[in-house]
Amino acid sequence: MITLGELDRDEALLEAIARLCGPTRAELLRTTALGGAAMLAVLVARPASAEAALSDVDILNFGLRFERLQSTFYTQADEMGTIGRMSNPKQTWAETLGAHERAHVKIIASVLGPKAGPKPSFDFGNATETDADFTRTAVAMEDLTVALLTGVTPRIHDRRLTAALFGLLTVEARHASWARHIVGATPAPAAFDEPRTLDSVSGAVKRTHFITGAPKMTSSSSPNFTG
Amino acid sequence: MRRRAALAGALAGAAIASATAALVLPGSGPAGVEGDAEHAARMLPAPVVPAFRPGAPHGLGSRRDLAYWAPVRRATLARAAPDRTAPVVVAVATKTPEGTDNALAVLARRPDASGTRWVRVRLAALPNGTTGWVPRSALGGYETVHTRLDVDLEQLRATLLRRGRVFLRVPVGVGMPSAPTPRGRFYVRNRLTRYRSPVYGPVAFGTSARSETITDWPAGGFVGIHGTDRPDLIPGRVSHGCIRMRNGDILRLARLMPIGTTVRIF
Repeated sequence: MITLGELDRDEALLEAIARLCGPTRAELLRTTALGGAAMLAVLVARPASAEAALSDVDILNFGLRFERLQSTFYTQADEMGTIGRMSNPKQTWAETLGAHERAHVKIIASVLGPKAGPKPSFDFGNATETDADFTRTAVAMEDLTVALLTGVTPRIHDRRLTAALFGLLTVEARHASWARHIVGATPAPAAFDEPRTLDSVSGAVKRTHFITGAPKMTSSSSPNFTG
Repeated sequence: MRRRAALAGALAGAAIASATAALVLPGSGPAGVEGDAEHAARMLPAPVVPAFRPGAPHGLGSRRDLAYWAPVRRATLARAAPDRTAPVVVAVATKTPEGTDNALAVLARRPDASGTRWVRVRLAALPNGTTGWVPRSALGGYETVHTRLDVDLEQLRATLLRRGRVFLRVPVGVGMPSAPTPRGRFYVRNRLTRYRSPVYGPVAFGTSARSETITDWPAGGFVGIHGTDRPDLIPGRVSHGCIRMRNGDILRLARLMPIGTTVRIF
């Protein structure tokens, strides 16, 4: 069973959760199984003291981080030709989801403006390189995003923002159902949406560490170039 | 006991709700159910207007000038083939001589017979143009860029393209005849700023290209793209292999050219 601590190598997500839910809950989430009922319960439960400190900007930034994760995942698989080598129905599915996620990133970043957090660095390992790895990871990611949006959307103060996030949440739920259909799983396995079904694909996700520290590519060292 | 209390509470709530509806909604009762429903529907408030709506989904656009690179996460050996027993081409370090993370341009990907994934990379090694295969596990996440810098040694001109469109065209200084700028396909692997060397101007990019004549230069004679303290010499064949630009031009380039950009020198 994969945990958030395993996936979130530089703890960027845990930081965001700590801002939203308080450090105690973030620490609990570190070891809680991704997408499981326990994780959903932790995210949805009312915080003891942190709720008053929540800002809509924090929540939107949290959403933006996850949308960026998804957007980069689909975009990278598309640009590397992995999606192009898939069967037509899968291509349509993956390209559609990628286009949606890019639109989500664009609008949330636009709404946040200068308050938008920096784009994290991602390392999807092999997950964007082969059809099978890509598909399994996509299913896991969509289920996870539904769980997280379900948890954070009710915390929004501005009703109009809540309405907008519900619009995103329902689309992500459709993505998750479509992904499940693609792999031959039941699109809506239960009457109440508890994303336990992530278990079936967590093996592929477990081997990945999606969010990484950014590589250091700039320096103030004096150049040694030939001049 | 607790469940019985909860059930009683629920029944009481339902009774209160029914009584309230009978008071508030005209015509409530067995005879006017459909009319009540229509009336209730009319009284419902309009949906909350969302604060934002995403724009139309869009594709990726042109793939011209698309290139990949990845940072080196652990020191490794580049081999002549995607095989653990293939001859070693060169050792690959995690850092550049300037202290930045080493970056490799990704050219191809392939699993070997055991399922281990290998990546064919462009190497910052002599002879220029050297490529090799490294294990995928030695690299970090892929990054993509859509930019290419063309350096025309005849016209003494550099052109930055993004997705095939020209974004910048500037005059350059290139290697003098005794220390020519090498021709070939390279990539940008780091960016240096705030150093105290005015001869390099305000910004210097490190590339994977290396001088083929000045090999005993500190760090091995890497070719950079940088500013200058002698703008009067540009354009011209005046450098030891580096590509020099006027400081205003290198600053403009720095805003447009990401790490990993393909550099084509011809």
